[in-house]
Amino acid sequence: MIQFESVSLGYGDRVVVSDINIRVPDGKTMVILGDSGSGKSTLLKGVLGILQPVSGQILVDGENVGTLEEEELLRYRQRIGMVFQEGALFDSLTVGENVGFWLWEHTDWPDDKIEERVRTLLRFVSLEEVIDQRPDALSGGMKRRVAIARAMAPQDPRVMLYDEPTTGLDPFTSRSICDLVRQVQSEFRVMSLVVTHDLHDAFRVGDLFAFIHDAKVILTGDRGTIEQSTDPFVRTFLST
Amino acid sequence: MEYLRKKMLDLLQSMGDFSLMVAKSFRYMATHFRTGDTLIQMDRIGVGSIPIVFLASIFAGLDMALQFEVVMAPYGARALLGKVVTTSIIRDMGPVLASLVMSARVTAGISSELGMMNSTQQIDALRVMGIDPVDRLVAPRIFSGIVMMPILSVSGDFLALLAGLGISMTVGHVPAPLFWSGVRDALTAENLTDAFLKPLFFGFILTSIGCHYGMKSASGAFGVGKSTTKAVVAAAIWILVANFLLSKLLINVWGLTG
Repeated sequence: MIQFESVSLGYGDRVVVSDINIRVPDGKTMVILGDSGSGKSTLLKGVLGILQPVSGQILVDGENVGTLEEEELLRYRQRIGMVFQEGALFDSLTVGENVGFWLWEHTDWPDDKIEERVRTLLRFVSLEEVIDQRPDALSGGMKRRVAIARAMAPQDPRVMLYDEPTTGLDPFTSRSICDLVRQVQSEFRVMSLVVTHDLHDAFRVGDLFAFIHDAKVILTGDRGTIEQSTDPFVRTFLST
Repeated sequence: MEYLRKKMLDLLQSMGDFSLMVAKSFRYMATHFRTGDTLIQMDRIGVGSIPIVFLASIFAGLDMALQFEVVMAPYGARALLGKVVTTSIIRDMGPVLASLVMSARVTAGISSELGMMNSTQQIDALRVMGIDPVDRLVAPRIFSGIVMMPILSVSGDFLALLAGLGISMTVGHVPAPLFWSGVRDALTAENLTDAFLKPLFFGFILTSIGCHYGMKSASGAFGVGKSTTKAVVAAAIWILVANFLLSKLLINVWGLTG
């Protein structure tokens, strides 16, 4: 379970989100919704331990992320798969090397075993044919797919984090990425946090939803709770 | 006053970050040496810089021999051209010139590459994958700079001497054996210490500063461009400062002579 307990996060003196209380149960996908600059991605940085909470605590499977030392953080992050907004693929490596990167770094597997795993992951995202290409030769949607495959490389990622996985994509590609996010969640039973400002995509991938506005969580719940909300900000969001 | 206080705090923060990055780099070099990444960086930083360093060294040798010939000829001291040119090149001109040329190529390259990686979240991706970016990106570059800079600088010195010989023979009419005799006189252990020690420090300076500014770069083309400019300027200044301090140290403390 991922738990945010009265968490405030920020950069220097500037607090971006405050008093956040969210729970993501095992095997569920929570979507964080909000307008641009509302601090949605900051929450992901908190889960990753890139940002330390100003107050409160973030617990992942009972482990307090804010208290982990640097060496412990490096080990902790090995259980987390992160899909960055633009993919953040290493542009000096091929697609195959990107996907196999974690395995080369953290396992003593022979090259042929790693290649087999890389091909399996690329087949999962329907991109085995681009294994030898460089990321700059891929479209935006393909980059996100490869990023998802790379995030899945550790055998048992407990948590998957997605930062605006469909931003800048056409509706057809967005839908296919959403389907892939659902597929990952259902096949591997991971806990997922998805940050997006797109309501349609949110409803496609999410089990639970949290709205952030003015640095605070103003509403959490399932789709029904969201659709029945009378909060003016949520109503505006739903109507756009 | 508030502005000055903020600037001072920023400077102290930056120095702290730099020291931490360097300390971690040396720790990783000792405990977790990345042979493959280091060889790639040695190729990029060292082998890739051969043409510009050699070209700069040749022209520096030509020019120094020409200038010294003009100054020394009226005193009938052309016989000393070999010794004077060699001493100037291997103790000062060679290492400094090679390092400044390298800072334009290597410091700028490292800073912009790491800056773009930072901007496109590739460095965050490394952290998320449980890999310290200092281990993967910084340590191999600093090690390569420390190893390759002396090799390049000393090779450049040799080419500069050959160029100096050419000018001495054609313009100054100094016989080659006389020039080489002066070169041999100048190749003392003390001068050779300068020739190898200075570029070793300069190699550290130009790679570590490039890494520091690249890792701290702001996002976007403007941010990366700004940090690259800062890195090149800082590297050039610190190379000149370090050159003076090392010269002073080697001359005074170790009692070196010309």
